[in-house]
Amino acid sequence: MSAPVDIGMTQELAADLSAASLSLAQRFSGGATMWCIAPAYTSHAQHIAVEFVHPVIVGKRALPAVALTGADLIGQVRVSARAGDVVVAVAGATDPEVRAVMRRAAAWGVTTIWIGNGERPPAGAADHILWLDSDDPTLAATGEFVLVYHLLWELTHVCFEHPGLLSAPSDCTDEVCITCSDEGRPAEVLTSTQDGTTLVRSARGTESVVTVLAGPLDAGDLVLVHAGMVIAKLGEDQP
Amino acid sequence: MTEQPRLEEATNFLYPFIDGTETDAGALLVDLTASALTKAATSASLRRTTLESCGALITTGAAEMGRRFAAGGRLFTFGNGGSSTDASTLAALFAQPPMGHPLPAWSLTADQAVLTALGNDVGFDLIFARQLIARAGPTDIAVAMSTSGTSTDLLLAMREARHRGMYTIGFAGYDGGEFAASPNVDVCFVVRSQSVHRIQESQALLGYRLWAAVQSATDSPAGVWAESRGVR
Repeated sequence: MSAPVDIGMTQELAADLSAASLSLAQRFSGGATMWCIAPAYTSHAQHIAVEFVHPVIVGKRALPAVALTGADLIGQVRVSARAGDVVVAVAGATDPEVRAVMRRAAAWGVTTIWIGNGERPPAGAADHILWLDSDDPTLAATGEFVLVYHLLWELTHVCFEHPGLLSAPSDCTDEVCITCSDEGRPAEVLTSTQDGTTLVRSARGTESVVTVLAGPLDAGDLVLVHAGMVIAKLGEDQP
Repeated sequence: MTEQPRLEEATNFLYPFIDGTETDAGALLVDLTASALTKAATSASLRRTTLESCGALITTGAAEMGRRFAAGGRLFTFGNGGSSTDASTLAALFAQPPMGHPLPAWSLTADQAVLTALGNDVGFDLIFARQLIARAGPTDIAVAMSTSGTSTDLLLAMREARHRGMYTIGFAGYDGGEFAASPNVDVCFVVRSQSVHRIQESQALLGYRLWAAVQSATDSPAGVWAESRGVR
């Protein structure tokens, strides 16, 4: 049980940190709040939040970051996060609460950052996956996660010195706009199906949609919406 | 979707060289990646020198902590801000380790009712000292985590801990601050850096190594259990 002195920083992780930092600076610049969760390591969520709210370097901007702790983290993020916000999680790839939050992120319109170690989450499970390869179960207490989110803070503040780069890239730069085309948009069901319609939450807000194609739906179900209609119910989490 | 107000940077006028028309993020991302690698290397180097300079203290501290846990002692950790969260991580490592045997440990920032009651009624400087008066005894251990080593609430808590016969361990950065010279600090781990972030990263590793050494010192869970209850 002797944690390595060397740090699991790699070229890949450094590049992922850079992309995450620019994305985070863009979201903050757009008015985002960052919600921090770490079901198994509450103190990491709180350390991230205090880092951004009360910077150790005098003169750096205080940014809205909040640690969510305690029971029902999924419900806490659901009620807290607005479209355009950021969720940062510190958790293993199998953490059920974090997986559930990440699966809903697109429906809620939030950008996600996932910090952890060991087995990696599947590609695309979060917008930014900041991962240490070591599968040491005690790694969370060795300072390596602290380094990762310290660097996230430091690089994010470097990005603020480049105001020309702080406008988030538009989703509609391609000839075919994903948001507006005939692809389905993810949404989360707000109320159980009644009379073939239901209310869903998507990145655009609350929408009333027709559910006849999808059959019975319950609050919390994830669906794909197209042209005012639920076209598919997304499957359950497959750990 | 609710339209959110854009943040304005109030200090932009200080940086006339900032290019508001920059549009290619590629160069910035290359710089950021190089910066992350450099900072991580600096952190790793500081961890190495810190463990070298503090190795003997880890052995000394863990041996006494092991004796105290065996005698029924408990660990109380505390700090301010980010250091309070690192203190909580350390307490959780002792109390709910992913491997090895659990040892009684708590962070004194865990209960906001207690913290705000003390802060409101007796003052912020006493938020930890008063909890030690209520909870701690002569076989117990106090760990104060700080980067400056000079926070008044921590120094008062260490004075109270000394008064109660506790074993006291301080974590500090820079030159050790007042922790380094205090007669109320039995073991002072100093991470010699000027960067709060790099200091905290090394302190976490020091705390981890301290825990690992205590685990070795109290190798038999049954033995610890028996001794702590006076049955052996």
